[in-house]
Amino acid sequence: MRGFDYVGKRMLFAALTVFVAITLNFVLFRTLSGDAVSALRCRQCTQAFKEYQREQLGLDKSRWEQYQLYLEDLAHGNMGKSLRSEQPVTHELWPPLKNTMAMVALGTVFSIVFGVLVGVVCAWRRGTWADKGGLWSGLAFYSMPPQWLGLLMVLFVAGWFGLPTAGIKDPTLGILGDASTWDVFVDRIRHMLLPALTLGLVLYGEYALVVRSAMLETLGEDYVLTARAKGLSNWRTVRTHGLRNALLPIVTLVALSLGFIIGGSITIEYVFSYPGIGLEVVEAIDQRDYPILQGAFLLLTLSVIGANLLADLLYFKLDPRVSG
Amino acid sequence: MRRTIAIVAAVLAALALAACGGSGGNATGSGGSETGAVTEGGILRVGSINYIDSFNPFHFIESQSYNAFIMLYPQLVQYDFVDGEYVIVGDLADSWDTSADGKDWTFHLKSGAKWSDGQPLTADDVAWTANTTAKYASGPTAVMAPALAHLKNAEAPDPTTVVLHYKTPVGNVLAQLEQFFVVPEHVWSKFAVGDGKGLKTYAPENDLSTMVTGGAFTLKQYEKKGTTVFLPDPNYWADKPHVEAVALTYYTNADSMIADMKSGQVDWVDQVPFNAVDVLKKDSNIVVQQIPGAETTNITWNSNPYKDENRELLDPEVKKALSMCVDRDKIIEVVFNGYADKVESLPGKISLYENKDLGPLEHDCDAGNAMLDQLGYKRGPDGTRIAPATTGKDAQPAHKMQYEIMQPTSLDFNGPRAFDIVKEGFAEAGVDVTLKIGGDSTAAYEIETTDHCDPATNSGYTGWDIAMWDWVGYVDPDFMLSVVTKGQWCSWSDTGWDNPDYDALYEKQGTTVDENERASIVQQMEQMIYDNWVYTQLVEEQYIDAHTTAWDGMDPHLNAYAKMYWTRPFKTG
Amino acid sequence: MSASIQGGAAAATEGVDVGAARRPGSIRHVALREPTAIAGLAIIAFFVLVALLSPFLVTGDPKAKVGPIFEPPSASYPIGLDGGGANMVDLLIAGTRVSLMVGFCAALVSAFIGGTVGVLAGFYGGRTDVVLMRTTDYFLVIPDIPLMIVAAALFGRSLTNIIIIIGIIYWTTTARLIRAQVLSVRERVYVKRARALGAGNKRLIFKHILPQVAPLLVANTVLLVAYAIFAETFITFLGLGDPSVISWGRLIENAFNDDAILNNAWWAIIPPGLCVTLVVLGATLFGQSLEDALNPRLRVGHLSVRRFKVRPLRGKLDSE
Repeated sequence: MRGFDYVGKRMLFAALTVFVAITLNFVLFRTLSGDAVSALRCRQCTQAFKEYQREQLGLDKSRWEQYQLYLEDLAHGNMGKSLRSEQPVTHELWPPLKNTMAMVALGTVFSIVFGVLVGVVCAWRRGTWADKGGLWSGLAFYSMPPQWLGLLMVLFVAGWFGLPTAGIKDPTLGILGDASTWDVFVDRIRHMLLPALTLGLVLYGEYALVVRSAMLETLGEDYVLTARAKGLSNWRTVRTHGLRNALLPIVTLVALSLGFIIGGSITIEYVFSYPGIGLEVVEAIDQRDYPILQGAFLLLTLSVIGANLLADLLYFKLDPRVSG
Repeated sequence: MRRTIAIVAAVLAALALAACGGSGGNATGSGGSETGAVTEGGILRVGSINYIDSFNPFHFIESQSYNAFIMLYPQLVQYDFVDGEYVIVGDLADSWDTSADGKDWTFHLKSGAKWSDGQPLTADDVAWTANTTAKYASGPTAVMAPALAHLKNAEAPDPTTVVLHYKTPVGNVLAQLEQFFVVPEHVWSKFAVGDGKGLKTYAPENDLSTMVTGGAFTLKQYEKKGTTVFLPDPNYWADKPHVEAVALTYYTNADSMIADMKSGQVDWVDQVPFNAVDVLKKDSNIVVQQIPGAETTNITWNSNPYKDENRELLDPEVKKALSMCVDRDKIIEVVFNGYADKVESLPGKISLYENKDLGPLEHDCDAGNAMLDQLGYKRGPDGTRIAPATTGKDAQPAHKMQYEIMQPTSLDFNGPRAFDIVKEGFAEAGVDVTLKIGGDSTAAYEIETTDHCDPATNSGYTGWDIAMWDWVGYVDPDFMLSVVTKGQWCSWSDTGWDNPDYDALYEKQGTTVDENERASIVQQMEQMIYDNWVYTQLVEEQYIDAHTTAWDGMDPHLNAYAKMYWTRPFKTG
Repeated sequence: MSASIQGGAAAATEGVDVGAARRPGSIRHVALREPTAIAGLAIIAFFVLVALLSPFLVTGDPKAKVGPIFEPPSASYPIGLDGGGANMVDLLIAGTRVSLMVGFCAALVSAFIGGTVGVLAGFYGGRTDVVLMRTTDYFLVIPDIPLMIVAAALFGRSLTNIIIIIGIIYWTTTARLIRAQVLSVRERVYVKRARALGAGNKRLIFKHILPQVAPLLVANTVLLVAYAIFAETFITFLGLGDPSVISWGRLIENAFNDDAILNNAWWAIIPPGLCVTLVVLGATLFGQSLEDALNPRLRVGHLSVRRFKVRPLRGKLDSE
């Protein structure tokens, strides 16, 4: 099919999926969860007060009306107000989202770095114990529950390196005087290190495999064999060429994983008390703060859809084989 | 837990009347002047697993916000803990007197008080806040309205005098006023227009440059789930804080909070989990403070006289017999690692006028079994007792004594472990129970009140028999006594009890100004609750906090009760 | 691009001649020839055995307090005591039973739904196929873990609910897999012949298609078991699990909530996670080998990288 067709089709699909996701979002939280106000308990929560609250929160309208309002609001970028803090949801979700993105980015960097290292070693020493060991370890880490791995990190690694195990910043940084940007930066990184490391370990197996395959493929190519026969000094060429082969799948993998990672990092954030969007979801659940849950869920869904779309487009752009 | 997530002044801290003689532990002194060297300054880094969700006293849910209000806003009065007792002392008010009929209260305020922006803090602000709260009590100010229950209006005849006129004499004016915060009229008056919604939605922390407070501290930095920083307010009218700043950091889990304290990143932790106490006690750099607590755990019996099933559980004798089979010592050991004490009264040991003659509930299952035998609940072939068929209006067929015990997921202790012990005890009595998780506190409460709960038609409180939950008590017993009244049906009541005699006493104690008289009514009421086994009180958790040896002056009794909780701590050089 | 971690399992066994075993249907050959498959099977078998024997291995209540909290391993309690003073060995054995049960049941639910969707889509083709596959696609993009968590929070925390929730999340990739298999089988001559002879659809499906599809479904179910056990630990860890049952996920959660780290009680933290890792590893190895043996073509990119919704190459397996 022609390129334009393909891109168009993919985008249409993405748009439709977004719409379905939005509706599902609404249904899931508003329809199934009952009335947030009926659950209110306060000393002055007389019927009159509850009616007042219902009216304020727009819960007194029919479901269909609420749905329409919801769509309208969304079109204006308004995700409603948190039931708890009565502040706009977007306002509440933005800082945690930033935190998660930063941590996830660092984690992805780790996973790629580990993946490349292990993949190269595996390919280089193909068939030996190093090869098997590398792949096995990747598989093993992949099979571990991330929260458990996180706990192990806290138990063993944190102490050795003096790394903080919770939150995102040092409580005393910048209290009396303003901390320098560098100090703040270092502090953030230190707090991100363990969660990102956990994420990296869990994911690197995938990339190791990809790099290994790409390297092996390259190694199998004739001109490289010839080059190698001429001596190890050409190993660098092999490596570079192999890695370039691995580029497409890695990039695609990253794009595809983004959606998962943001959602799956929930347990990691929970273990490390890292104030990201995952933790926000968990706490909103506890507090029955439906607008927050809806907003967070929508964001996560959108990011997965967006990432998949990106992956599709990348596939198309970078790999001419596909469009045939 | 739902009780701490009370919109009205849910107090996190556990405080107690030392006179109860519980396992006191090493409760340090209540502050005041220290003979040790007081070093001024230092940043007090506090760790908490509760965060502040609001700086607007008309809108908050998290109990830690209450602490923030105490730091930032003037109160007329507050509590102090002196000689093992809670006493009301003044904050903005220096002294007060009552009219002969108890309906008019005159407060004499400190003079020369200022808000953080330099504007004078006068009786006008107090009166304005009180009147505005009363005016919008059914909506925007509902959260703070109970502090001024029965208020007619407030007047400010001169800048340092405030008179509160009540519609009837009120028995606990001062205790209620402890939960009343004054806000600056010159900043907030613009919200008191129309439906007054702005009063509730105003979030002062969104613009620190325009935020005006009047207390021991001002707010320098706010991060809901991060670190919030308070600086001493130079305009404060009482003993200023010793510290240079207070940094309150929120931790999602207690483990990392305690780990940070051990590694020196946090100075003071306001709640130590029971499993961590022993570890901390072994650390010579840390002082662990242990005081009897305010949180009581209970078995909640559905006491709705109109319930349609399992009506044998309405019989106090049956409830008593079953309660006698529960091993409360084992609960203390297994669930709380020893850091709890048995309790009998509903308001708990922290409350004033506690009836100390209740029970005590003995662990004597032989006697319990004898009672059940005598009442005619014979054991069936499998050992489970059978409730015989009844006749009359609420006739029931014969059925096994088999019930579900409902628990919310929001308990701050291991509920399932506690359940196992109760199950064991009941099994000894020939009663079979299974655990049902009711969901979070909201969902669990919905199960208790049931759909279409309406006191006018006596509908609600059906479909369940037994629950296990907890309450956090207050110094003044009014609130805890109210939760079993018909007036709190579908609101705070989780037992569905309906006893007009009790309700009449509740009204009476509410308007009795004479302390001794009120005390005797309260004790009578507690006896009624006990005799009817509306709840089986299990244990009272201890409240444990800890701080490093570099600091002193922390008094856990004052958490969420006084500005001194924050102003007394000091660095020990 | 064989960007599948499960491909690594096969890759790790390169060098072993399995060519002869790569005939569709020769499961036994695979099981007996590939060492990793055997290892995987052995691990699963071990845990299944423990689960089945657990009523005999654990006498009394595994949660009973037998000593002080977090007592380190000793002769009488080789894995020490947990935060409630209960014997870790008993807890782990009891947990094995529950975790495996949850895993199997949820996997069965997933397999059933996915299998049905896949067979229907592949067999009937046309509109049915498009509708079913579009639905599958939509499901694919909804982030599974948040959905599970939200569903668990909304629908209550009983074990049954957890099983259903997990089952509903994971059927999508099974559906794709089975559909692809059905598409290839459908073209086989004998099916066409049977149709020419007038066999009804139902008969075709049950007598001819299903037997061809079943082995692959079984293999996929093994993988699903691993994912389900994994998912259960996620849900339980966040406090949404059924509190009255002991599962491995619950043990990890308990360790976290009981302040095991503070008490340096590594024996309360490591064993349950280790069990999960081993079972997931074993099931992955075994299931992967089965899938590869049964249909090596499909090794390319289709697999439900457990959490990664890797899309198949465009044009090859889609019905466009």
